[in-house]
Amino acid sequence: MRPMRSMFHKRHSSVPSLNVASMPDLIFTVLFFFMIVTHMRSDEVKVRLEVPAGSEVKKLPGHPAVINIYIGRSQEKGDAWQVQLNGDIVMAKEIPARINEIRGKLSAENAERLTVSLRADKHAPMGLVSDVKQALQQSYALKLNYNATEISP
Amino acid sequence: MFRKRYHKQIPELNTTSTADISFMLLIFFLVTSSMDTEKGLMRQLAPPPIENQQPQDVNKDLVVRVELDAHDQLTCDGKPATLEELAQAVTAMAQVNRMGHVVSIQADPATTYEAYFRMQDAIVGAYHRLRDRYAQEHYGRPYHRLSADERALVNDYYPQRISESPIEKGGDR
Repeated sequence: MRPMRSMFHKRHSSVPSLNVASMPDLIFTVLFFFMIVTHMRSDEVKVRLEVPAGSEVKKLPGHPAVINIYIGRSQEKGDAWQVQLNGDIVMAKEIPARINEIRGKLSAENAERLTVSLRADKHAPMGLVSDVKQALQQSYALKLNYNATEISP
Repeated sequence: MFRKRYHKQIPELNTTSTADISFMLLIFFLVTSSMDTEKGLMRQLAPPPIENQQPQDVNKDLVVRVELDAHDQLTCDGKPATLEELAQAVTAMAQVNRMGHVVSIQADPATTYEAYFRMQDAIVGAYHRLRDRYAQEHYGRPYHRLSADERALVNDYYPQRISESPIEKGGDR
């Protein structure tokens, strides 16, 4: 207990600063949440596309042997349809060579599990999609995943 | 006086900026990562056709002919059909002859991918419901709660017999 004097004579004390020591912890928690639920964008998508929606979709098993193919409208040249394989715009007939090149870099185990994730725009004509599928058949990349958003049944 | 100084606490480290640093990390991850889910319909393509291979004859009664025309109109065995009717036709045929039936898909090059995808989705959905029912009857659990071995057995019991004709350039008619 302080002497009597100070009980009436209030000292001028500054407002105590807010304790923000736990704030980084909170933000780190959010950060870790985001690190877990998202995945790194592997390549820049150079075409405009919107995938269809279906009710029977399943999660693609996340292993390294996934090739992404995008079919969408070109960003520059009006409304022409373009095919993008991983990072580059390709022609449908170049796909087998590309896939063989990618497969050559994979281990034997992963080459066997090679999956193609096809993201095609809703309005893409089946003629083009079919060309891509036939190219995949020729290169024996037979596991195909039609990427789609899920609608509740 | 010296005694008092000795008891003075060590000044706290100023950690105010740690929050800013971790915010920056958070924003970096938000920008470089994508939330889009890797979800989709898993299909197995047929191996490329071998040259001089004779097309196999299938009994016409066991085939569900599914066609999509240039205007995204779905026809099932020659009659216009909705996705539900298609699913019913596939279900009915798969129940009549589990191992022998064939769902034959033919799409026009001008069909949109969405129509094609919805058709695939409907067919897979029909098979999924059949397998679900079988799993419920035999294991007392829905399909998604079966073990991998049990699933393989159910898949063998109701195989997906889907045949896709290649799309001819410039239409097939």
